[in-house]
Amino acid sequence: MDSSLLANAESVVARARTGDPEALEALYRAFEVPVYNLARRICRTAEDAEDVLQETFFEVCRSIGRYREEGSLWGWIRTIASSKALMRLRRNKYRETDELHDEVVGKRHEDTHLRMDLEAALERLPETSRAVVWLHDVEGYTHEEIAQMMGKTPSFSKSQLARAHARLRGWLGEEVTQ
Amino acid sequence: MTHLSMETLLSLREPGTEPGAAAAREHLDQCPDCRTELDRLHQRVARLKALPTLRPSRDRWPETAARFRAERLRRRNRQIGYVGLAAAASLVLAVIGGDHPQPAVSASSQIPQVMERSQALESALSEFNPDGRVLDGRTASMAQELEDRIAQLDRKLQATELSQQQARDQDLLKLWRERVGLLDALMDVHVTRASNAGL
Repeated sequence: MDSSLLANAESVVARARTGDPEALEALYRAFEVPVYNLARRICRTAEDAEDVLQETFFEVCRSIGRYREEGSLWGWIRTIASSKALMRLRRNKYRETDELHDEVVGKRHEDTHLRMDLEAALERLPETSRAVVWLHDVEGYTHEEIAQMMGKTPSFSKSQLARAHARLRGWLGEEVTQ
Repeated sequence: MTHLSMETLLSLREPGTEPGAAAAREHLDQCPDCRTELDRLHQRVARLKALPTLRPSRDRWPETAARFRAERLRRRNRQIGYVGLAAAASLVLAVIGGDHPQPAVSASSQIPQVMERSQALESALSEFNPDGRVLDGRTASMAQELEDRIAQLDRKLQATELSQQQARDQDLLKLWRERVGLLDALMDVHVTRASNAGL
C-alpha cells in the first residue's frame, strides 16, 4: 500500500463524512488495490473480486459517518472487504460442489507428483480454505475473528487452515521424507 | 515415532499457549523431521505474504460513485418528502392559529413553494432514470459537476436549517432557489443529450 496515499486518505476522512465526492474518491484511490487484492485472493474470479471492490466502497461511502477511528482506517475498510468477499462466496452456487471437485482433481495431481507453484496451488484450494489461509496467514486475522466473519467456530477455522496447509505442502512437493 | 500433526504445528505459531504446546515443543526438540516441517510452514507463510499484489483490470469508481449518488438522491427525495410534509403542516398550523400572520411575500411563505418545485424536479429526474442510461463523456462530466454542486448546496442547506431563525429564512429561500436552478440545468443536460442521441 502506498504510504503517501494512506496518509492522504486519513486526512480526507472528515470531508468524506460530509459526502464530499472528491474525498470519497480519494479514499477509493488510496485503498482500491489492497481491497481488490484481498478480494481476488478470496474469490474465484476477477469479476467476483471487482464486484466485491465495488460493494466494499459503496458500503464505505454509505458508512464513513459511522467510522469511529477506534482502529486504523485500513483495518475498518479491510473488515468490510473481507465480509463482502465471504458473502460473495456464500452466494455463489458453485461452492457447493467445490470440495468434491477438489478431491477428484487433487488426487489426480498428487498421483502424478505434479509440482505446482504457490500461486497456482493457492488458486486450487477450495474457496473456504483459501479464504481462511489468506485471512489468517496474510491479513493477520485470528481464528476467532475469522470464525465470527464466517459464522462458524474457531475450531472450523483452525481445521480449514490445517487442511489447506497439508494440501499446499503436498502440491508444492514439500513433504519431509521420512 | 508419531510426528506432530499440521494442526499442532500451526498452533505452535499462534500467540499464547495452546493445550499440549509444552509436549509438542518437547517433541520438536527431539524430532528433526518435525522441525523441518515447521520451518517449511514458516517459509510457506512468508512466501504467501510475498505473493505479488493483484490489481483490478478496470476502474470501478465511476460505477460505485454513480450508485452512491443514485442512493443519495433517493434518500434526499425521501427527506424532502418529509420536510415538505412538515412545512405543509406548519403552514396549516399558522393558518389555523393565526396569532401572528406572516406578510404575504415573506421568505418563509415562499420556501414551501420552492421546495415543492425542487421535489417535482427530483421526481421527474428520478423517473427519467439518468443512472440507467449511457452518457457520453462530456454529458457525464456536466451532469457530475451539477450533481456535485447540488450535493454541496445540500450541505449548506443543512447548516442553514440549524442556524438562527431570523437570519435563516432569506438564506434558505436563496439556497432552495439555487437548488431548483441546478436541478433544472441537470434535467436539461439529461433530456437534451437524450433527444440529441434519439433516446
